[in-house]
Amino acid sequence: MKRPVRLEPGQKLVLTANRLLDGRTVWWCADGSWDLHIGRAALLDADETEAVLARVAGEAQRDGVVGVYDTAVQAVMPPEPVTVREKIRAHGPTVHPEFAVESQQ
Amino acid sequence: MSAPVGHYQYDRIDRDFLQARIAEFERQVNRRLDGTLSEDEFKPLRLMNGLYLQLHAYMLRVAIPYGILDSRQLRKLGEIARRYDRDYGHFTTRQNIQFNWIRLEDTPAILRELAEVDMHAIQTSGNCIRNVTADEYAGAAADELVDPRVHAEILRQWSTLHPEFTFLPRKFKIAISGSPNDRVAARFHDIGILARPGEDGAPVFRIFVGGGLGRTPVIGQELFDSVREEHLLATLEAILRVYNAHGRRDNIYKARIKILVQAIGVEAYREAVEAELSQMDLERYRLTPEAVAAIRSRFAVPQLEAPADADAVLAQQRRDDPLFDRWVRSNTHVHRDPGHIIATISLKPAGGIPGDATSAQIARLADLADAYSFGEIRITHLQNVVLGHVRKDRLRDLWLGLAEVGLAEANIGLIGDIVACPGLDYCALANARSIPIAQKLGARFADTALQAEIGALRINISGCINACGHHHAGHIGLLGVDKRGEEFFQLTVGGRAENGAAIGTILGAALPEDETVDAIARLVDCYLGRRESGETFLDTLTRLGHEPFREAAYEAV
Ligand code: HEM
Ligand code: SF4
Repeated sequence: MKRPVRLEPGQKLVLTANRLLDGRTVWWCADGSWDLHIGRAALLDADETEAVLARVAGEAQRDGVVGVYDTAVQAVMPPEPVTVREKIRAHGPTVHPEFAVESQQ
Repeated sequence: MSAPVGHYQYDRIDRDFLQARIAEFERQVNRRLDGTLSEDEFKPLRLMNGLYLQLHAYMLRVAIPYGILDSRQLRKLGEIARRYDRDYGHFTTRQNIQFNWIRLEDTPAILRELAEVDMHAIQTSGNCIRNVTADEYAGAAADELVDPRVHAEILRQWSTLHPEFTFLPRKFKIAISGSPNDRVAARFHDIGILARPGEDGAPVFRIFVGGGLGRTPVIGQELFDSVREEHLLATLEAILRVYNAHGRRDNIYKARIKILVQAIGVEAYREAVEAELSQMDLERYRLTPEAVAAIRSRFAVPQLEAPADADAVLAQQRRDDPLFDRWVRSNTHVHRDPGHIIATISLKPAGGIPGDATSAQIARLADLADAYSFGEIRITHLQNVVLGHVRKDRLRDLWLGLAEVGLAEANIGLIGDIVACPGLDYCALANARSIPIAQKLGARFADTALQAEIGALRINISGCINACGHHHAGHIGLLGVDKRGEEFFQLTVGGRAENGAAIGTILGAALPEDETVDAIARLVDCYLGRRESGETFLDTLTRLGHEPFREAAYEAV
């Protein structure tokens, strides 16, 4: 059951999942690819998200990802997730700065 | 190879089984990768093999039966950390190890490596009987009445792949101890077992049921006071059958045995177990002295020989070196042999991550175990490591060796010995991060002299209501809660898992993450300011009640 999305001003939605092969957190990009870096994620408006999510989730197996869902971000560059949980998924565990997603390819 | 000291030695059947199971899982992984299996179909299969999907990667939980390893196994865990993970592993409160950065495609290879040293990840997840935990000082402590490892092994064999108990209403956790000093949190387990010698010399077992933490913390109730050894398996089988038949399957939050015991009452549960026993074929489950002896023979007995002056040497070294003396005070326990001592190695360096060890530290621990403790290592339910049989005159050399790899922290049982779950830094179920709070508290109370001054004080941190960090059982407990995507912590005081088990009382409204460490520091100050001579934190709390502590915690808010 999809909960209604309430976005604050200045917020958009992004799609995220985990990669099937290694479980890494990935973000859905406008060209249909999945990327480790949230900076490349496509920013979606609330009213288009449901349709895009349904389409992208339907292609999860082909794309090698698991558990596609949407989450709110501040629509700045790079976008910043609203919740602590998604911030940690975007950037890596806070207790291991050396594993920061930003420092990886 | 001679039998390992401390744990059961596998035979051909065990090893063939593991290989077959890995081959099966490899086929399942391949079918998942080629899309034949959907994620929904694959998830229960991977969980049965200990593989979770967490926030950043897969997590593999490896079973350490009753927490005991040999050095060869520990070395292998270090190699896996180095080769397949990011060079570290996390030891858990259930005496297991978790690897946080595992790739799905590597998992069959990792399981093969584990099988080389008779290890696996089976039944580390799912609604089955999980790894049986045991007293970390088993077979070594002076205060022990019965060595619980033999029966822990019997339970391991009984519960592994038990066809009837593979799909229970919910997970099932058993702990066993043979000491009057409960070091396994027996009353916070689905079944807690305390062994003691019976009149004829054979052990008898006191059995608690329905304990647990999580969303509904409950202290286990005594089901039987004195189960005879020959009836141990039949009794456990009957307890599980009653649960399997009547435990709720409609609501995951009400599915644990504790809810069933609460719902029908312990007397009715006992009657149901007795009724089940009366129609079971008891012969089939009878644990004969021969069967017990056969299992016992698969454990090697350490040859405890020490020079006559071992004790005197240690005493002199303690006088000569106050730092060493402080470590001995907090990190050792009395061994049953006067020439030996039990050493607990803290995995809680000040400001570090509780329970984490690097591959280099793991390798060194294996070497030190070979050099000082018959190649045997125990993982504790408080996320530390024990070398069970160290000669007293060699303890200082061990300590110096530990210091070289940053493992000589003198804080066991003290405020720095914090238990914390992985929390929101890794865990997909978390509300808040547990580890950073532990690190800040560890740094705040880094001074080991101050820790010794504060005395026995246990802090437990869980990142959500599932309570993997046992926060309800902490003298001070912290529970992470989510308020609109932000981290808050609820404080409890007065919990304890040892004898006189108690569930902590909530002090008040949850505090924002950045105020939590200061609030705990004020709790500690309140205790230090008001304690009477010889009192521990719990003593002062018991004498004064919660109110002064509540005021102290919320003073600045
Ligand atoms: C990171 C992955 C983990 C997940 C997904 C997880 C999940 C859970 C869940 C859902 C429960 C509640 C079960 C219930 O109430 O029925 C639970 C309980 C528990 N977990 Fe974990 N856990 C994880 C890690 C750990 C770790 C690292 C430890 C040890 C430090 C641990 C030890 C425990 C213990 C002792 C309990 C309490 C059992 C009880 O309720 O009596 N878990 N876990
Ligand atoms: S207590 Fe919650 S946050 Fe911590 S490991 Fe367990 S499930 Fe995860």
